[in-house]
Amino acid sequence: MKLETLMVLIPALPLIACLTTACLGKKVLREKSHVPVVLALGTAFVLSLLLLFQVNTESQKAAEAGKTIGYEKIHDIWTWARVDKALVQEEAQKVDGRADVAPKAPAVSNFDIRITLRADPLTSIMLVMVTFISTLVVIYAAGYMHGDPGYWRFFTYVALFVFSMTMLVSVSNFVLLYCFWEAVGVCSYLLVGFWFEKPEAVAAGKKAFMVNRVGDFGFALGVFLIWTTFGTLNFHDVTTDGVTVPGVLGQMRLADPKLYAIGSTTALLIGLGLMTGACGKSAQFPLHVWLPDAMEGPTPVSALIHAATMVTAGVYLVTRCSPLFSLSPTAQTIVAVIGGFTALLAGLIALTQTDLKRVLAYSTVSQLGYMFLSLGTGSLAGIVAGMFHLFTHAFFKALLFLGAGSVMHAMGHVIDMRRFSGLRNVMPWTFRTFWIGSLALAGIVPFAGFWSKDAILAAVHERAHDSTIFTLLYWSAVLTAFMTAFYTFRALFMTFYGPTKVPSEAGEHAHESPSSMTVPLMILAVCAFGVGWYFEHTHGFAEFLVRTPSLAFAPVHGHGLPHEFHMSIAVVSTLVALAGVGLAAFLYLGHRKEVTVLTGIMQSAKLYQLSYGKFFIDQIYALFVVGPLWLLALVCYAIDRYIIDGIVNLGGIVPRAVGSMLRALQAGMIQFYALAMVLGVLVLMGALLLWQIG
Amino acid sequence: MGEIQLLYNYLVVGALLFGIGLVGFLTRRNMIVMFLAAEMMLQGVSLSLVAWGRFHDDWGGQVLVILILTVAACEAGLALALILLLFQRSGKLDIAFWQTIREDNQPKFIDQELPDETRDKPHWPQLTPAGIEPPGKGQELDHRIHV
Repeated sequence: MKLETLMVLIPALPLIACLTTACLGKKVLREKSHVPVVLALGTAFVLSLLLLFQVNTESQKAAEAGKTIGYEKIHDIWTWARVDKALVQEEAQKVDGRADVAPKAPAVSNFDIRITLRADPLTSIMLVMVTFISTLVVIYAAGYMHGDPGYWRFFTYVALFVFSMTMLVSVSNFVLLYCFWEAVGVCSYLLVGFWFEKPEAVAAGKKAFMVNRVGDFGFALGVFLIWTTFGTLNFHDVTTDGVTVPGVLGQMRLADPKLYAIGSTTALLIGLGLMTGACGKSAQFPLHVWLPDAMEGPTPVSALIHAATMVTAGVYLVTRCSPLFSLSPTAQTIVAVIGGFTALLAGLIALTQTDLKRVLAYSTVSQLGYMFLSLGTGSLAGIVAGMFHLFTHAFFKALLFLGAGSVMHAMGHVIDMRRFSGLRNVMPWTFRTFWIGSLALAGIVPFAGFWSKDAILAAVHERAHDSTIFTLLYWSAVLTAFMTAFYTFRALFMTFYGPTKVPSEAGEHAHESPSSMTVPLMILAVCAFGVGWYFEHTHGFAEFLVRTPSLAFAPVHGHGLPHEFHMSIAVVSTLVALAGVGLAAFLYLGHRKEVTVLTGIMQSAKLYQLSYGKFFIDQIYALFVVGPLWLLALVCYAIDRYIIDGIVNLGGIVPRAVGSMLRALQAGMIQFYALAMVLGVLVLMGALLLWQIG
Repeated sequence: MGEIQLLYNYLVVGALLFGIGLVGFLTRRNMIVMFLAAEMMLQGVSLSLVAWGRFHDDWGGQVLVILILTVAACEAGLALALILLLFQRSGKLDIAFWQTIREDNQPKFIDQELPDETRDKPHWPQLTPAGIEPPGKGQELDHRIHV
């Protein structure tokens, strides 16, 4: 199949499935609403694989030819918006007043938004990952959501989400990226608030949307600044009427770094704007508060959107824009610091959470922080490691979430780990796959998480030679790795070990989930076991990924990829992870006397409360952000209600007041009416006489 | 008798007719009488028109009167039909009964409470039946009730 056809079909299939279930789901498909979605997503996955292989072949050819920076395939579909001479700058601006540097933007820029899809290694990796995870999740959801009154609605939303996400990674324009950035946000909102009769779910959906708005505002500012700086919003070069406008991430700019010469302040601001958007979507501090609440949504959604795919959009954005970030080392350092801090913070919070899904949610935040930390190193190894971690994390975190969903399904929607234990005999397959997922997340050799986490630590360690900040970040990342192993296995031991205890909500029939749920778990478990080792061994992932134009850009690319394996770092991280697992086993296997003692010590130092209360960030926001805004809203409401509405209502009061005065005349006596008429005629005649006399 | 005098006489009669009609319309509560009074006002105006028409030597006045007569005939038909309907609804010809068309929350107009009719039961002479019973008696009595 031609590459263009594949590029169009991959987003089109989920869209068609979405429209089908939206139109026919309620009346016709009902309990079969998952069929079109599963078919469409499965096909999209196969097509994505085909796309990946084609891109791989083509990009190898391009790399051998060496004429282009990386490999990209652009498919222009149609022009969506075009405004000629949208930006006219007085004179072609010189950077910092120097004449020897090329003008940063053409004097006259046309605002030209085309629906353009792109295929490059980065996009094809994301497409394969998204369609693969989503296919497994919808198969799983067919079992998990069985009997839900909103069955068809669920699959419509999921299909819409997959369409938006595939478009998000396929588009080649900042405006469209922003559109689909918002579209995945909407899908997330719809799915978090899927059980909209439940007040917590509604509040969580609203919170997710609001917090994302803050990030998107920064993203929008970044996009505006890109527009005024570069005079275009396309990633690729666009040739119209023989004139080529170099795209923001296009071949012309990538080939000639001088075209990237912009002021360092501008570069920093662009970086910060894009990073704010990425922080909102990828739940980084200080905008991480929405993700744990978003666990109110159905568990397949938590697995698909809030662990594997949508939340990685921020990582994708930063990776895609790495040439822009490479212009500002400060912005990169900020990305790294925020990532490292978020990883540590979320790890600390996850230590004490008792809700299985919340533990996983904080772990997601923590792992996303890892990815940001890695991207923030700015080295090619760091960026590739971040993307690699994104890739492996998608498998094992989806696996863990689906496992948690399987537990929840059997426990009658109870998710508090204190209320069940010893489920290893009740749910053998969930137990086994959860083990694999936990090993992968904790970073134990040879599971997927180990290889990607090791790559990240190596990349950070490399920067630590010349920077104190990165030294600190390295050690905090090591500490986070320890905590990750601890809380993951704490959750595993609390759930599956100890005496068998089943909450009353589960009834007498707590049993293993149906095969439609366990089979995706097994497939994901195989991936969580294998992908890391396979790609680390063959170097296939990294070598493929660096053929992305953004990463092939000389300042980003540097000296290429270091291929040696960092044994010392691997030993440290393995020891640390094993220590975490060991501590969890010591504390949570068998008698739990030590836990009580330890908790008591921590409680007396108020550290336990700090972690259990999620560092009270929600409360701080409620006090300093939500409260004042609430007051402002109250004032606005009062103005609207009493002043604006008052003026409008006055228009209605006047006729009513006049009417109530005249109403007394309408007494219903015909003769009175006649008399009034006669008198009126007399008055008129009198007036006429007087007028004529006068 | 001069033309002016002749006009005066007609106008006086016309004004009298109109005035009597007006007073009748304003004071009587029987709908049929009110209707008659209104007709009387029409005739008063018509008479004035004819008189003025003659005075000005203009046929317009008479033409208008013929138009009025036609309209009055139509109006008579309509008005009587309406009165008949109102009567069938309420069994009354009193216009004050229909004061219920007044606005909401307006006080009811009561000019005079009617005294309760306490009439002695009529005494009919008890005679021995003679001759034959008249045919269709029940039917006829039914009919009379409605008249």
